[in-house]
This record gives sequence, C-alpha cells and structure tokens, in this order.
Amino acid sequence: MKRQRVLFLKENYVLRVLKSFFLAGLFIIALLLILVHKIDITIVSSVSQGVMYVSAPLIHIATLPAEGLSYGYKKIAEIMYIYEENERLRQENSELYLLKDRLRALQTENRIFKKLLHHIDIPQTISYTARVIAENNNAFSNSLLLYIGNASDFIKSGYAVVNASGLIGRIDIVSGKYARVTLITDINSKIPVVSQKSRDRGILVGNNTRKMNLIFPPLMAELHKDDILVTSGSGGGLPPDIPVAKIKRAGVDTITAIPLFSPSELEIVKIIAYDISPDEKTAKELE
Amino acid sequence: MAETKNFYASIISYTIPPISIILIDLLFYIPRSSDFWNFIRLVPFYTGIYFWSSQRPDAFNGISVFLLGIIADVMSANPLGINVMTFLCLYFLATRLSTYINVKRFSYSWLLFALSITLSIMFKFLITSIFNRMWIPLNAALLELLLTITIYPLLARYYIWVERRYIHLEDRYEKI
Repeated sequence: MKRQRVLFLKENYVLRVLKSFFLAGLFIIALLLILVHKIDITIVSSVSQGVMYVSAPLIHIATLPAEGLSYGYKKIAEIMYIYEENERLRQENSELYLLKDRLRALQTENRIFKKLLHHIDIPQTISYTARVIAENNNAFSNSLLLYIGNASDFIKSGYAVVNASGLIGRIDIVSGKYARVTLITDINSKIPVVSQKSRDRGILVGNNTRKMNLIFPPLMAELHKDDILVTSGSGGGLPPDIPVAKIKRAGVDTITAIPLFSPSELEIVKIIAYDISPDEKTAKELE
Repeated sequence: MAETKNFYASIISYTIPPISIILIDLLFYIPRSSDFWNFIRLVPFYTGIYFWSSQRPDAFNGISVFLLGIIADVMSANPLGINVMTFLCLYFLATRLSTYINVKRFSYSWLLFALSITLSIMFKFLITSIFNRMWIPLNAALLELLLTITIYPLLARYYIWVERRYIHLEDRYEKI
C-alpha cells in the first residue's frame, strides 16, 4: 500500500505555520498593550492591579527573612554606637530646647499676621507611614512597592510620597494592601516645582537617572547651583513647599537637578493624603 | 492510571519553569543598600527565559513568556507590554538560534545568550525610548546588559538544578 506522504507533510506544515503565527499574535497583543497603556484606559490599570494583588504579597513574604536580618544588623550597630549616639542626642536636645521658645513665638506671630491678611491656609493633610518592600531603579523604570496595610482605603493614586529628605515620588497604583510608587527620577515623572530662593517656576522631569532636567523655566530665571527646588502646588496634585531636588548645574540652555533622597535610604516612607477637592460644607458654601 | 499521572506530569513540566523564574526573581526584588542590585532585578527573567526556551522548548512556550512579561511589567512599573515584547524577542531568538548551535555545550550556550540578550535589550531600549519619546540612558542599559551576561552561569546552575530535580521528563513519564 502506498503511503500518503503528501497529506502527512501538509498537516505538519499547517501546524508549523500556525505556530509561527501564534508567536506573531503574541507580539501583536503586546504591541496593543503598549498602545492601550498610552491611551490610559481602565482595563490596563485593572490588569496591573490584579497582577500586583497576587505578586506583591509574594514579594513581601520573600523580603521577610531579609528584613529580619537587616533588623538584627541594625540593632547590633545601635548597641555598638549607643554612647556616641546618646552624646549626640543630648547635644541636639539642648539646642532644640533653645529653639523651642523661639519657634512658639514665631508661630504666634505667624498666626496673627495670617489673621490680619485673611490668609487662606492649605487644607490639613493626613499622612500614613508605609514600609518599602521592593524597589526597582534601573535604566528602564524607577519605582517602589509599599506595604500600606489597612490604610489602602484612604490612599489614592497621585498622593505624594516623602521621606526625611523630601519628595520621593507619587502613588501610581493601589492594590490590596500594597501600593506602587513612581519615583521622581522615573522617565514618566513630571513635578511642578518652584525655586525656594528666587520663586522661579518650572517642571522637573525625570529620565531614569539621578540627573533630572528642569524644563520651562522663566526666561530671566535666577537659578543657581545648590538652590533647592520645592513643590509649587500648581495643579493641586501635590502639597506646596515640599523639598524635591537641588540644582546641580544651571546652564544657559539646560538646568539639571539631583533628587534630595538617596535610593539606599528608602526604608520607611510617608504618604501624604492631599486632596483639595472641597468637603461637603465648603462645597455648599461655595454654591 | 498512567495516563492521569502523565497528564499531571505534563502540567508540572509547564508550570515549573515560570515558577522557578518568579521565585528566584522575588529574591532579587528585596530592597538592598547597594545600588548595584537595581541593575540586576530582571536578570532571572532574562536568563530563565533563555535557558528554558533553548534547553527545554518542550516545557516552555510563548504563553509562559507572555505571562512572565506581564508580571515583570507590573513588578518593575514599566508600561504594560514593554517587557512582554522584550521577552518574546528573547524567546524568538533563543528558539531560532539554538537550532543552529549546540546549546548543550555551556560555552556555546553562554555565547548565544550574550548575543540574544544584547539584541533583546537593545530592542527594549528602542521601544522604551519610542514610548517615552525621549532617549533613556544608554550607559545604564549597557551596564544592565553586561551584568546580565556575567551572571548567567550562576543562574543557569540554578535552572539546571530545577530541571534535573523536577522536570526530567524521561524519568517521570510512564509508558502507557
């Protein structure tokens, strides 16, 4: 009996063609995902939230042994340098005692001036403390993953994230008990800032390195090296006057600044819940 | 009975490679005091995808690569699709090139990895720059590339161990 070789080969060929198209199909889906991300529709953020909901607890579990080791190391270091630290704190305490009375007097004076000028204060902000459980600062993106626990109901995307040095980023996605932060050094980050000294405005743009660019400064801007840039509060997305970066180079055509935080010191951060949409009472009054 | 066992064995053979990659990558995501770690966060993904697609294409396919890409994108805060495309590019190169070179010999496999990952990271560099309409720092991308190539033998040892321990199909499949 003659073997049907032609049919056999055809079947194999069809399967091979389908296989090649399968990979091409996946490529097309990936390309569509990028394009859809650019348009920013809800389905993409839902997918991101879903994946983060699963992956973030796993990362957290993986970090627990490292956290324990780090805690032990810190405790030992603290015990070793306890006398020096104590001495330093005593000295700082005596200096702060001297400043305390002066600060109270200035606060009272400030309150009186504000009343005289009918100054409108920025709304009171609530802050939440969160622990960094994962970080990612490379050529392609700069982000952090935070454990926010039960505060997830009160934390929204866009809230400012700060540490002792100043602004470090903004909340990107909240999923379950975790939140992802886009750092100010990320290529997608654009922060409206103002110079602390000259009050010249601009937009601080990240580029995935420690050097950020200040764009759209005024023509006759008086910006100099080592000037501190703070948040301007423009647009209402961030509270004003949070230190962001220090000017490294103020050239004629380019102004570069470096962030005030160091990636290695990001352990505990503070999330500032700044929402300037009016409350019910104010909204009624405005009406 | 043997058919059921084989069914479970095939499921295990498909799930072990992605799980082995994710588990090792979780350790790389732990915050550390040194900035050096930032350049190697995604190395387990690159090395794992190359290893499994070149050494065990029967236990690793495009869907696994796609899902790993989505996870990598979410974990590293990249726009969804960037790492998916990079990983698919790496998968494509690894599966195509490994048919011409004897990847069972480690030095050849390493060389092929260096070639595939260079092309893949350059591809990622291009699509990320196009997406952001701004050139991302090339020196940081090159550093990531060099570290990825350097670390490959270490992680390959781990994947070889996983492969031998968990999905050595010849030992686990039963004759029906």
